[in-house]
Amino acid sequence: MNAIPAELLNILIGLVAVAASVGLIGLVMVWVERKVAGHIQRRPGPYEVGPSGALQPLCDALKLVGKQLFMPLGADPILFWLAPVLAFLPVLLLFLPLPVGDGLQALDVNLGVLLILAFSGLAVLSVLLAGWASNNKYGLLGAARGVAQAVAYEIPLLLSVLAVSFVAGSLDLAQVVKGQGTWPWNWNIMTQPLAFLIYIVSALGETNRAPFDLPEAESELTAGFHTEYSGMGFGLFFLAEYANMVVVCSVATALFLGGWHGPVLPGPVWFVLKVSALMLLMVFVRWTYPRVRFDQLLVINWKWLLPLAVANLLLTAFFVKLAQFA
Amino acid sequence: MEALFSGLSALYLAKCDAAKTGQVFQAFLPASTLVRAAERLLAADYYIEDICAVDCAEGYVVVYHFDHFEAPGRVTLRVLAPHASPVVPSIANVFHGAEWHERETRDFHGVVFEGNPNLIPLLMDPDMADCFPLRKEDKARAKAKDMLEAGEVVYCHPSFTLMTPDAPAEAKESGGDKPATA
Amino acid sequence: MTTYQNNDHLAGDFYTQNFAKTAGEGNLILNLGPQHPSTHGVLRVVVELDGEYIMRAEPVLGYLHRMHEKMAEVKTAAQFIPNMGRVDYGHALGWNWAFVGAAELVGGIEVPERAEYIRVITCELNRIASHLLWWGAYLLDLGAFTPIMYAFDDREKILDILQDPTGSRLTYSYYRIGGVAKDLSADCIRRIQEFIPWFRSRLPMYKDLVSDNIILRKRIEDIGVIEQEVCRRFGATGPVARGSGIKYDVRRAQPYSVYPKLDFEIPTSNLKCARGRYDVRMAEMEQSLRIIEQALEMMPEGEVLVKGAPKPSWKVPKGEGYFAVEGARGKIGAYVVSDGGKNIYRTKLRAPGYCNLSLFAEVSQGTILADAVAILGSLDLIIPEIDR
Repeated sequence: MNAIPAELLNILIGLVAVAASVGLIGLVMVWVERKVAGHIQRRPGPYEVGPSGALQPLCDALKLVGKQLFMPLGADPILFWLAPVLAFLPVLLLFLPLPVGDGLQALDVNLGVLLILAFSGLAVLSVLLAGWASNNKYGLLGAARGVAQAVAYEIPLLLSVLAVSFVAGSLDLAQVVKGQGTWPWNWNIMTQPLAFLIYIVSALGETNRAPFDLPEAESELTAGFHTEYSGMGFGLFFLAEYANMVVVCSVATALFLGGWHGPVLPGPVWFVLKVSALMLLMVFVRWTYPRVRFDQLLVINWKWLLPLAVANLLLTAFFVKLAQFA
Repeated sequence: MEALFSGLSALYLAKCDAAKTGQVFQAFLPASTLVRAAERLLAADYYIEDICAVDCAEGYVVVYHFDHFEAPGRVTLRVLAPHASPVVPSIANVFHGAEWHERETRDFHGVVFEGNPNLIPLLMDPDMADCFPLRKEDKARAKAKDMLEAGEVVYCHPSFTLMTPDAPAEAKESGGDKPATA
Repeated sequence: MTTYQNNDHLAGDFYTQNFAKTAGEGNLILNLGPQHPSTHGVLRVVVELDGEYIMRAEPVLGYLHRMHEKMAEVKTAAQFIPNMGRVDYGHALGWNWAFVGAAELVGGIEVPERAEYIRVITCELNRIASHLLWWGAYLLDLGAFTPIMYAFDDREKILDILQDPTGSRLTYSYYRIGGVAKDLSADCIRRIQEFIPWFRSRLPMYKDLVSDNIILRKRIEDIGVIEQEVCRRFGATGPVARGSGIKYDVRRAQPYSVYPKLDFEIPTSNLKCARGRYDVRMAEMEQSLRIIEQALEMMPEGEVLVKGAPKPSWKVPKGEGYFAVEGARGKIGAYVVSDGGKNIYRTKLRAPGYCNLSLFAEVSQGTILADAVAILGSLDLIIPEIDR
């Protein structure tokens, strides 16, 4: 009997686990977001369904599934329905190279960072398709914003990640984590604080989270690129947004915050804790700040983040080379 | 204040008691000099408060209210638009805010403001643009002199009878019943 | 309808067609509203966009038009008071006051002093509530979700206070020709006294958390600059004019009621931009608190409705009168022409928001879409008031 290669089996199990956890993370994050938002706003948030409203997201999800899938007149049917799928599917792949614990990785690929950056670039395509195919002017404006924003913010994101890779000498996330130690002063954030800052800001922009949620800026563009989506069409965009958040926070944890390293508790627990902390930060930011304007968003990127990221990268390269000679 | 309206062939100028009517001065103008009066008011730093029409027996009295930011005191301009062809020149090119007030007056009373850059329905449905809700029936119309404040008359053109009381005690030289239409 | 040129070759309804016929080649015609999250009701603005730049904008009104001026023709003066609460749900008592004041002016009716103080207190409370509503909604427009919850928290307290004497929470019809409907109870006065220090302690927090935020400042500074000359041409009043450095407040310029006896300042700002209007409104809330504080101390005992006050069937005597009060959005005016009949012959309502909005087309030209939303919000629009 031909044994299935262990490698393939690993990926398969990983995919199933990822698919299951993305759904779960989506539900938990909806609950956390609404609960945190509620408490920030001096109200309890959801509390009717289940303990502390914990089942509320489930009800919301059921409601979304039950809604009629509506497509506006004059929309392009293929592109219109392709867009939410395209938004969601790459996200599953993004989870594969994430090192949750020592050796606990669905796909141990030595170019993990590159894989994540490549596939997360697909998200912008879905935004463009959704906005274009909707035959809606708000959608179109949202899509145009989304593309300009994603293209802009991917560059400093990439550059800040590269700086860390220089130090670690690897594009493999697991290797980068192994290069760090148990205590905070052994983490990359100590050697690369600027890169961390650039990464977090770019990540907010990349995931279209407030204050950089311009493609869906509610008060200007009603809902931007997903104005015309109902039911699970919208649900998939929604899920993809939260899944993307998890991915960028996981990458930040692996690159800058020591990944699974931590005292006393087992590795995966530390990893989840650190990711949760970053996610909470993003939630806090969303419910605290107003939205920036589109030109300001691009100014922040091209005039501040990008030059800083380049300078940081050059400096890092210089010191890395210096260390080799020393 | 009177100087402001000199040379505008005003029909009627009067000072008013602000404590009783909320206005300090009023001027009844012929339609032909309305725009020039508006220009002078703008040059004198007045701002436009509102424009409205009152449907009187003699015609639509279009009322313009102006006020001043630094030296408060409401100045009222009035122009008569006859019922048969209610046309008044627009001051929307002097006071740009007048555009909306004029459109509103057109919606409500059907007074046409000649020269308004965009005289389309504002508050009323375009499909109902030709029914004017505030026009009154003939028998419901009251005379302007019975309602509008006469004030302390500074100047009154001899042929102008719209604001002068009917009472013969005043003994005006003209006294014809024909309303002065500009 | 034959009055207007047929533009059926263009897409959209009458207004879109009329707007689009002069549009530039390749520009996008976008209808913001009448259903849109940041137009606060049913304002519709047709904009011509080149990319995200606004080439031209034209507000389209009338979606909430109820023809209050016609209703005034079929009601007696006293019966018309409830209409005033419906004109502007934000500052209903200001409108109450404008109309009642005009009727009193023409009718020559004196108001008891206690009633004047009650009017000042309730009107200023209502002004704070209105500014809070604007503040929360404006920040919501700018993408900050949280402040509106804090604003409504405070506003709720004011509504609770006003509910006691007025009997309603939003569309008040509390003032009567010759006074007010009901005296302030001792409990109500105590609650107002408790509210003042409490709200005063909240204002610094709003400043720290929201007003000084760098993102907010970047969003509203130098946006929507309104020159004083523009204010004059369009008749802008209230915080819009004061945000452009015009020290004009009807409470001081054409004093009414007991305002001359009260010590307060007229906040102005020379910034002329949305930030100026923002600052003016924030400062006005503090001034309103000062006014309420003094009015509570100075309020004499006595009647709240003049003896022999007009009955519902009271006829306004012959004459005309224009009475203006300082509303939360600017100068609220009521122009009354009466022929001595059962109903008022002609009632003209001057809505401040109407004049303030009319300058939007000029100010928004050449800005980007997000700025247009910031400018619209900074004008503090209440659509029922604009459409009347």
